[in-house]
Amino acid sequence: MQIQSLFSFFVDPVLRAPTVGCMLMCLGASLVGVIVFLRRQSLIGEVLSHAAYPGVILGTLFAGIFFVQTFEELKLALFALTGAFITSLLGLWLIHFMEEYCKVPSDAALCFVLSTFFGIGLTIASEVQFSFTSLYKQVLTYLYGQAATMTDIHIAIYGILALGISLLIILLYKEIQVITFDKQYAKSLGINIKTINILIFMLVTLSVIIGIRSVGVVLMSAMLIAPAAAARQFTHRLPVMFLLAGLFGLGSGFFGIYFSVILTDYFSTYFPSARLILPTGPMIVLVASFICIGSLLFAPERGLVIRFMRIAAFRYRCIGENVLKAIWRVGPDTSLHLNQLANYQACSKKYLCFILWRLCNRGWIQRDDAGKYLLTCDGRYKAARIVRLHRLWEVYLVDYLGIGAERVHKNAEEMEHILTPELERELTFLLNDPKEDPHHQPIPPREEFNV
Amino acid sequence: MFNPWASANPYHDLTFFSFLIQFFKRFGLFVVGRLPMDQLVTDEIQISVLAGVAISSALIGSFLILRRMTMLANSLSHTILMGIVLAYFFSGSNGENKTSIAPMQAMLIASLFMGFVTAFLTEFLTKTGRLQEDASMGLVFTTFFALGIVLVNILTRDAHIGIEAVMGNADALALSDLYWVYVILTVNALIYCLFSKELALTSFDPSLALALGFSPAFFNYLLMAQVSATSITAFRAVGVLLVLAFITGPPLISRLLTHSLFKMIMGGMGIGVACSIIGVALTRHLLTLYGMTLSTSGVVVSTIFVCYLLTATFAPERGLLSNLRNQLKQTLKV
Repeated sequence: MQIQSLFSFFVDPVLRAPTVGCMLMCLGASLVGVIVFLRRQSLIGEVLSHAAYPGVILGTLFAGIFFVQTFEELKLALFALTGAFITSLLGLWLIHFMEEYCKVPSDAALCFVLSTFFGIGLTIASEVQFSFTSLYKQVLTYLYGQAATMTDIHIAIYGILALGISLLIILLYKEIQVITFDKQYAKSLGINIKTINILIFMLVTLSVIIGIRSVGVVLMSAMLIAPAAAARQFTHRLPVMFLLAGLFGLGSGFFGIYFSVILTDYFSTYFPSARLILPTGPMIVLVASFICIGSLLFAPERGLVIRFMRIAAFRYRCIGENVLKAIWRVGPDTSLHLNQLANYQACSKKYLCFILWRLCNRGWIQRDDAGKYLLTCDGRYKAARIVRLHRLWEVYLVDYLGIGAERVHKNAEEMEHILTPELERELTFLLNDPKEDPHHQPIPPREEFNV
Repeated sequence: MFNPWASANPYHDLTFFSFLIQFFKRFGLFVVGRLPMDQLVTDEIQISVLAGVAISSALIGSFLILRRMTMLANSLSHTILMGIVLAYFFSGSNGENKTSIAPMQAMLIASLFMGFVTAFLTEFLTKTGRLQEDASMGLVFTTFFALGIVLVNILTRDAHIGIEAVMGNADALALSDLYWVYVILTVNALIYCLFSKELALTSFDPSLALALGFSPAFFNYLLMAQVSATSITAFRAVGVLLVLAFITGPPLISRLLTHSLFKMIMGGMGIGVACSIIGVALTRHLLTLYGMTLSTSGVVVSTIFVCYLLTATFAPERGLLSNLRNQLKQTLKV
């Protein structure tokens, strides 16, 4: 097989069905995933996919009893999927029953239902294995998923289902939104919560069931969670979140197949003896998780790395400004040694060296021959401005908020790094340009650093 | 099906009740010491492994349910596949010895490691990553499970250990499996005896426990370690997923019957052991009468399921029927 270009996945007769099928399936799952994610029920997908297992097996059993042959793929799929739908709903109902009537904590109910349903599935499977061996082998693909054998019929089925799911979400958009965020308000609007809830659960069940053919029972829950969680990182708005989650779903469906084909190809070229095959289902899940982890780390605003970087940048600025202030306090024209400075700063000596080096580069301080640091003209202005902000804020706290003068220093110590020039102007105006702070220290005048 | 042990197995061709009678007879002999260890047959090994797993699970499961940590145990049962694969990889067992996948020590260490990683990552994503708890849990275990399956494919070239890990194979148990199940059972029992008060305290009132100087986090991780160890010893018999049924099922059943923690744990043990015996007997019964070869672990779990439904319906205080009767009484009074 030649290494394919991205586009050829959509026209190649062998690859087209799995590619489009998986993408549509992922689209449906990730749209529904947004709803369950926001309702904090992400693990429901896990239960559903396990509860579907006995249904798939039972469906096969009935298919065998009604003499369905192995080549009648559509009939078999119909039996298996109907069975899966029924047992999944049964599992959901049982969870509801356990929570409502037996007062079982919800996680225990979920765990109990998923493991026992899976056990029942296994029991029936061990029987079906012997009585309808060939059918069973075909149905085994439902446990781990097998995208490679999908045909054009699957595209049609998945296309219709994905379309149906999207249409239903668009039609019920307002109800879903209201119920998800404010149940009481929804009640007061006269929305029938029970019906909508049942509809939503039907949607979830449907999307999980159509997915188990391509990703497999055990991994389907990932497709509900990962795209939604990734989309949540980028936006606060529901429509955007639906859109992004859908895109991520489509993307992970496509690239899952892509990597599975390309890597298998690669392995078969370079290690032909190993006969390695990378399964599609897990690859799709891995791509989805990769996207999700990437956005957890790097999303603007909410991303972990971005947040840490922002914190580090703020700390860098604070310490730099504190150093300037410290030198200025001792006397604008005196110079200080590194060790003297280190005594008053809450950071390691190495970091302080780095800060001093940066400050020198920016031209705020100078290093003399004795290794001592001296403020430059610019540095003096900068330091004076920080001290001015600090003392202005202290005046404001005492005069306007009535806080005791002995308690304002700590707060001002933080605010001096945050106050902007506009706020400073406002404060100066509001406080009539005071000359002294509550501790009777002179406030550096404004003109000094406006030159 | 041809069974080479047929003539040696005293349970061959027995129905449900005669199986039970035979079992208790032989159990009596065993206790008195007239039946040596090496003469135990498959059914008895199955029962003892399943009963051992059931007792361990009841000890852990009761606390997991009270702490609402069962779904974390579920994540662990998925990520443990990674541990099994890693153990397989690092212990370098390939080819010759197909029956034992990797030495138990290696698997134990790998599973403890994976248990810790799972719990830690889930907590990290929830607290530092600001992801809601259910989503972070789902994200962690699905990723590891997918990785595990891919690794299984790459390293072992057949999905056999993957399937066996998920489903378990109680019919291929040997005496050596018995040993590890009971080692872990002893450890679990010891931990319970030593820390029962602390476990109860941190389960019911974490803030009070913290104020008194017992760290709930430490006991969380201790429980997770116990879950990993129990799952890994049980995975040969029941598979990593069905252990969850042992962990949640029996304690939930006994919770319907009693309010006291001690009774709940003891009841859970009893119910678990009873379900194991009934399950194995049922499997034998079905094999004898209808020639159905069912998966033993599956039948045991189905038994637990039926038990739960029966208890939920007929339990004297919290059952469905007694609830209905009380409601009826109320309406009649009015």
